[in-house]
Amino acid sequence: MGTEAKKDFDIYEVFSQKNVTSSFVHQFSLLAPNKEVALTMARENFLRREPCFNLWVVKRDDIYGLSPEERPFLERLDNKSYRETKGYGDLQARWRQHKERYEEQQQKAKSGS
Amino acid sequence: MQTRMEHSELTENEKMEAFLARIDRGEKIEADDWMPADYRNQLIKLISMHGISEIMGALPEKEWVPKAPTLRRKLAIMAKVQDEMGHGQLLLRVAEDLMAPLGKTREDLMQDLFTGRLKFHNVFHMEAPTWADAGVIGWLVDGAAIITQTMSLDTSYAPYARALHRICAEEKFHAQHGESIVLELAEGTEAQRQMLQESITRWWPSLLMFFGPPENGTITSNQSANMRYKIRSQTNEELRQAFLTKYVPRIFHLGFTLPDETIHFDEASGQWIYQQPDWEAFKLIVKGQGPRSAHRLSLRETSYEDTKWVRDAIMSFGRQAG
Repeated sequence: MGTEAKKDFDIYEVFSQKNVTSSFVHQFSLLAPNKEVALTMARENFLRREPCFNLWVVKRDDIYGLSPEERPFLERLDNKSYRETKGYGDLQARWRQHKERYEEQQQKAKSGS
Repeated sequence: MQTRMEHSELTENEKMEAFLARIDRGEKIEADDWMPADYRNQLIKLISMHGISEIMGALPEKEWVPKAPTLRRKLAIMAKVQDEMGHGQLLLRVAEDLMAPLGKTREDLMQDLFTGRLKFHNVFHMEAPTWADAGVIGWLVDGAAIITQTMSLDTSYAPYARALHRICAEEKFHAQHGESIVLELAEGTEAQRQMLQESITRWWPSLLMFFGPPENGTITSNQSANMRYKIRSQTNEELRQAFLTKYVPRIFHLGFTLPDETIHFDEASGQWIYQQPDWEAFKLIVKGQGPRSAHRLSLRETSYEDTKWVRDAIMSFGRQAG
């Protein structure tokens, strides 16, 4: 038992897609000696019940990401309402005003004639 | 995963303060975040014990796969055994990432199990001699596990929380699987009812022990450290009380009895009053001196040895195909 090679297994991250229009979602990770075994194990470990349309495994070492120190900078400043629909919340009310004014004018014109 | 190098100039004390402040704010900790050695060690201990218990828990149930009474029951119990092994895989992965900075691997955990350094849950040291035990394990042992794991969903360690989300969803199926077996027997013949009664009686002390000794007991516990770190949010006794509230009435509704005539709910204190199990026996059981400890460990060891050729074959093929 002690002779078993230890470091030959890689960590794979597993991603799956529920159906053709859904995005790939990270499921979990697993240990495997190669990508083929990783793909087989991904089905066994994570998709015994969930519907699945497609499946990816990615070696964790091949993923490049942010360090814990960098992650807090992802937080968005709160003055970017111009990027979001909530920054344009007045539009509906203004369209309604224009519509009502127009309809009033129409009404007046009708009763005037 | 690769990231840029860390350029932290904080002292250890400042890091510890920042860490505890994060915990207090209810933030979650990731595997690559700085954490105190004590937090890491508590997590490794808890999660490796949980992971190995899932695997050891498959063994008493596995005994019932060839003997299940119908094909549907056989398929269902096989599915449950497979789930338990899957839960073990998830949890061992979480433990491995925690152990990586210490240079320890999954093989080390297995060796720790075989040498007795790594404990597994008291319930999996016990006998499961009848089909009713298969039902009671699903209904009450998994029921107890659901109570502990639902509490832990809120744990401060994010990878453990993510693993538990997957596990809890499947545990609900396990509990239903157990309830289905139990109800079938409870609605069955006198002999079937008697078999179920004997199983409930047999498992009762183990079920009380499942949550661990109460805080005022003589066994030292890591509960307070784990609560400070928000690894867990409830004490052993709080979990045991929740278990009693959920299951004691159901056992009575089926017309069965418990081997404890004193058990009752005390309205004034809002607590169940019950006879304590033998906590000295509990100590011996988790040390590996339970009725089936040696047998189950040898099953695990044999299975590990017998499948070595599969791992070897995968490894030699793996390097070519990888």
